[in-house]
Parts: sequence; C-alpha cells; structure tokens
Amino acid sequence: MASPAEHPPTDETAVDFAETEPLRRSASASWREHGLAVLIVGFVTLIALVLRPYLAATNLAMVYLLGVVAVATRCSRRASVMASFLSVAAFDFFCVPPYLTFQVSEYEYLITFAGMLVVALVISAQTSRIRAQAVHAGDRESRTKALYRLSRRLSTTTRVFDAALAAAEVAQEVFGAPVTIFLPENGRISFRKRTSDQLLISTAEEEIAQEVFDHGRKAGKGMKRFPDAAATYVPLKGATRLVGVMAVLSGPRETLHEDQQHLLDLFANQAALAIERTQSQNAAADARMQMETEEMRSSLLSAVSHDLRTPLASITGAATTLRSQGEKLEPAVRDELLESISEEALRLSRLVGNLLDITRLESGMELRRDLYPVEEIVGAALQRLEPQLAGREVAATVPEDLPLVNVDDVLLGQVLVNLLENAAKYSPAGSAIEIAATATPAAVQLEVRDRGPGFAEGEEKRLFEKFYRGKSEGVRGAGLGLAICRAIVMAHRGSIEALHREGGGAIFRIRLPLDGRTQ
Amino acid sequence: MKPLVLMIEDDPQIRRFLRAALAAEEYQFHEALTAEEGIAQAAARQPDLVLLDLGLPDRDGLDVIRGIRQWSQMPIVVLSARGQEKDKIAALDLGADDYVAKPFAVGELLARIRAALRRAAPLAPDGADTVIRFGDVQADFEKRLITVGGEEVHLTPNEYKLLQVLIKHAGRVVTQRQLLNEVWGPQHTEQSQYLRVYVAQLRRKLERDPARPRHLQTEPGVGYRLTLDS
Repeated sequence: MASPAEHPPTDETAVDFAETEPLRRSASASWREHGLAVLIVGFVTLIALVLRPYLAATNLAMVYLLGVVAVATRCSRRASVMASFLSVAAFDFFCVPPYLTFQVSEYEYLITFAGMLVVALVISAQTSRIRAQAVHAGDRESRTKALYRLSRRLSTTTRVFDAALAAAEVAQEVFGAPVTIFLPENGRISFRKRTSDQLLISTAEEEIAQEVFDHGRKAGKGMKRFPDAAATYVPLKGATRLVGVMAVLSGPRETLHEDQQHLLDLFANQAALAIERTQSQNAAADARMQMETEEMRSSLLSAVSHDLRTPLASITGAATTLRSQGEKLEPAVRDELLESISEEALRLSRLVGNLLDITRLESGMELRRDLYPVEEIVGAALQRLEPQLAGREVAATVPEDLPLVNVDDVLLGQVLVNLLENAAKYSPAGSAIEIAATATPAAVQLEVRDRGPGFAEGEEKRLFEKFYRGKSEGVRGAGLGLAICRAIVMAHRGSIEALHREGGGAIFRIRLPLDGRTQ
Repeated sequence: MKPLVLMIEDDPQIRRFLRAALAAEEYQFHEALTAEEGIAQAAARQPDLVLLDLGLPDRDGLDVIRGIRQWSQMPIVVLSARGQEKDKIAALDLGADDYVAKPFAVGELLARIRAALRRAAPLAPDGADTVIRFGDVQADFEKRLITVGGEEVHLTPNEYKLLQVLIKHAGRVVTQRQLLNEVWGPQHTEQSQYLRVYVAQLRRKLERDPARPRHLQTEPGVGYRLTLDS
C-alpha cells in the first residue's frame, strides 16, 4: 500500500493550477475571448474595406454578420454581444458614406443598422446557447468519465485505506488540485490515517476537518463556515454513517465554482459509499474468519477430547478391573487387560505426539536439513514400525544410484511412518505394502502403496486436511497423520498426493525437489 | 553381587514402575530426586549404572552427566522425551552411554541397561572377543576377515574401521559425531554426509535388505546402533 509519505511533500504541490484544469474557467480566459472578438471584427473590417468599391453597403453588412457568427462560435456570449455592437459601429464608420464618420447620409441606413444589430444579437444568443449546451454536455461527459473511473478503481479495492487512496487519487486528477481523504479513528479524524501529506496541517485546519466530520456539513474555503481555510472540506457520508472527510486544496485566490462543487459532492458520495462498503465487507470477512476459527477450534476440541478420552477410558477400565478383581480373573483375561493398557497408552502417546508435531509445524518449525540416502530414511521408518507391520509382506524398492536428498531426516521419517501406519491401518491384515523410491532429473519420488479399500472419489484433497477421517469404518484415528505429512512435505517445498491404485488400493506419492543441492 | 543402579528421576510414578522392573531383574537400586542429590549419590554410592532423567526440577540433567564424567566412566542411560533429538545428542556427546525415549516399554529399557553394563564389564576387555557374529555376518578382527553367509566380503579400510567402532559399541547408540571422531579423526566431526554414505555401503555389503536393516540401525536425528541379536 502506498504510504502517505510517498506523496510529494506540501511545498512542491504549490503547482500552477491553470496547468491542470479540465473544468475551470478563469478571468484570463475571458480577456482572451474579448480580445479575439475585437480581432475578428477588425479582420472583417479589412475585408469590407477591400470589397467596398464593388459591393453595396447593405451587402457589406452581411460580411460583418459572418464575423459575428465566427465570434459567437468561439467565444462567450458577452464577447459576441460586444462583437455585435462593435460590428454595427465599424459598419457605420467604414462602410456607410460618408466614410470615417458615424454620420449617416441616408436615413434608410438606420433600418440596416437596426436589422443588422438584431440579427447579430440573435446569432450571438443562439450560437452561444448551442455552445453552452455543447460545453455542458462535454462537462457532463467528462464528469461521467471521472465518476466511472472512480467507481472502477473503487470496485477493485478490498481495504478501506486503499479505497480512500483510490478516491483521493482520481479526485486529484479530476479537480487538478491536491486531494486528501481523512479517515476516523475511534470517532475522531485521524491524521495518521490520511491518504496524503499534501494538506499542510495546522491546528486550525485540523479543527475544521473535525468539525465537518462531527456535523456532516461542508465547510472551508468558499463556504459560509470557515471561508478562510486553505481547503474545501466535504464530509464522506455513507448510507449509515460518516466514514471520513475529503479535503480539496485550491490555489490561494481560487475557489471551486458551482459545477465543481456539484462534482465534488458526487465524488464524495461515491467515495463514501465505497469506503463504507469496504468496511462492511472487511467486517463480514472478519466475522466469517472468526466463525471458521471457532468452528475449527471446536472440531479440534471434539476430535481431540474424543481421541484422548477413549484410550484413557480403556486404560482406566482395564487397570481398575485388574486391581479390584485381579485374583478372580483367568490368567488369559488378565493378560488381555494388560495388553490393552499398554496398547492404548501407546496410542495415546502417538496422538499426543501428532498433536505436538502439527502444532510445531504450524508455528513454523525450522527444518534441520542435510543430505541423506533415501534408503536410510526408509529403513529407519520401517524399523520404527516393525511391531505394526509384523506379519505383512513389506517390499522396499530403493535403487542404489538414487541421489542423496536434502531433508530433515526426523521429519521426513515421520512422513513415511505416518503413511506406512495408514497403509497398515486401512488395508486388510496380511496384505502387502510397497514402498518405492524413484528419481527424476529434478526430484526424488517416494510412493507408499497398499491394497486396502482406497479412498472415495473426490476425497483426494480432503484426506490431507486436519481432522478429516476417511470414510472407512472401524478405523480409529484423529485425522492428523496425513495433515502432518502434508505440512512436512510442504515445508520441504515438495508435494504429496493420493492416487487410486490399479487393482484396488491407494498410493501416496511424495515428490521432493532436488534443488541442485544433491550429489 | 547384583549390579547397583542409581535412578535420578523426580516423577514418583515413573520411579514406582522403574523400582518394580529393576527389583524383578534383581538389580539393587538407589533413588535420587534432584540433580544435586544425584551427583552426590553417584559419588557416595559408586553405582554400576546411572539411570538419568533429563528433566529434573533443580538443574539440567546434562549437568549431572558433566559432573559425573569429571571423575567416573560409570555407564549412564538417559531417559528423555520424544522429539528432543538435540538433548539426546548433547547427552550422548557429553558421555552418556545410551538413551530411552519416553514413553518406553520396560523391555527396551532393560536391554539398554544390559548393553551399557556389558560395555563396562571388566571381564571382556577390548580384543578378548575377537570373533563377533550377528545375522549372517562373522567378523574376525584378529584375521581381519569379514564373511557374510560364509563368503568373504571386502571392506575398504574406512568401512572396516567403522564396523569395528560399531561393534565396540554394540547394542548402544553412537552419535554421528562420535563415529566420525573415532573413524576419521577429530577434525572431521562435521562431515556427517561421508558417514551416511559409508554406512549405506556397509549395509549393502552386510545386510540382506539394506532398506530394512536388521543390525545396522539408524536412530533418526541422533546416530546409529548395531544390534547383534535380532
């Protein structure tokens, strides 16, 4: 986000406002138009003087009327009215005998003068009305364009400050003057939350901005209230509340004329609505996120509490049975109870380990990477799982020429342990499990394949979500194993995916990029 | 006389079952609840083995290893929590003989204790037992002859040395640092990649399935362990 500091500092913005002025008409322009009118009348007089020997005086009047038309199409109405009178006077002086005097030899010329003046004035009036309409339409068009530009910019912003910044920038282009939008903080206009530093802030200006925000009425330069201020302050009124104040800084002697005031209001209105919309969108997103977090927390709690309680219940039950009825029990039953105590305790230990792992991984655990033979990591994982894999055929295929992989051996080992554990859990006892490594030029690929029921279509991605359990029945687990796998593989910049195996079963495939750091 | 074990552990429940397990194996034992008391008891009782919990209330368990190693080579087996490979390595590098990660099965602990006591036993001085057998492997260090299933296997000098060191510490975990130090010398203790490549080669020569080693086992994040019986 552009910070206010990136905008040019205050003194550099004392620009010549005439430079950027699509909607502004100044006194100097008016003088130029009157000058042009005089020039045109002079030029017409020269032509009339040339034509005088060949044409009747009344026809020369037509030439003057053409001049008035020329003036009226280019200049303001006042200038063309002036040109009308000037033309009649020049016609009398140069074209009606006796020449070079306003005296008239024949009175019928008075009718010519009157007719000429009326026609000239009517031309002036009509032409400038048409012209005014054209100008107005042009103004309206540029205003519409400006508002369109504004709404387009605003529609893409997602943050309140960005919306304010966009509005201020477009307004600045359109008004050709520095524009700053102030946003409130705890109900007060904040000078830390403004879109630019262009407005020189004195305590007086600060108070005006606050006043405008408090009362929701325009104030500042050119207004009844605070006419001496450096800027015009417009409240940004949203549909339900005030969202800020927009300040337009103008040159020392300039004020915004009526059209601009109107446009400014439109701008303020649109900016306010956009800012308000962004605010409520953000609020809605926050609320949604909070809800999702809540939901996740509660699903975590229910999953964890269930998975913690179940083994605890079995342990407590078995232990208390042994204590109170130990002597009455058959030795075989006693052994069973003892076995369930140790098995359930191990399960509890795995769950706690998984929870610790995922917490550590999510809080950005550092990898302790080094180069390892894949074979060693596979071997260590199989060794750790020997009790669970007993009675199964486990085929490990690791080519001798596989490059070393740059990994955290403990964590990658955990990935394999989790995948193998899953395979053992979800496939029928005694069915074979395969683990195979292959190398491509850019990556090492590890696959764990089982002959279990596989997973449902569409579950491929969800399997790796936290607390998601496959649809298989009768299998217990917290739904953390694969989430941990994914977190670890992602931390290694690798990828993990679940595939359907031909002939039934699942394949979990890990790819570890070699990133040029292997032997 | 039965060996004397000093257990330095503050948790009463863990002491309780350790007591039961040690008594069942007819070990004698003493208990200490803090690091200070542990160091003092080790000096006073001169136990045959110390069972040390790393999470003690008064001081770091590693301090106990440091304290004892200043004057004694008595075997020390560490009890540590899972996932704290750093602590395990630190303990082993300070001179602890082995570790067991909590939660552990008592059988595993007793195996570690036996291995540690065996190392310390004065009856078997280095070299006395010159022929070692594990799985299909027979290593005769006097003749420098290694055979697998009766077939002679050629080891490079470094592989041979590595096997010797692992056999010397058989049954116990050896950190990568210790192995590098003993095989390649103290200036090479950081080059653990070498070590891994040599271990992999050794496995290919000695193990039936190098991806599922029965004897030359990896302790992820810590080091290696050669188990003779399997």
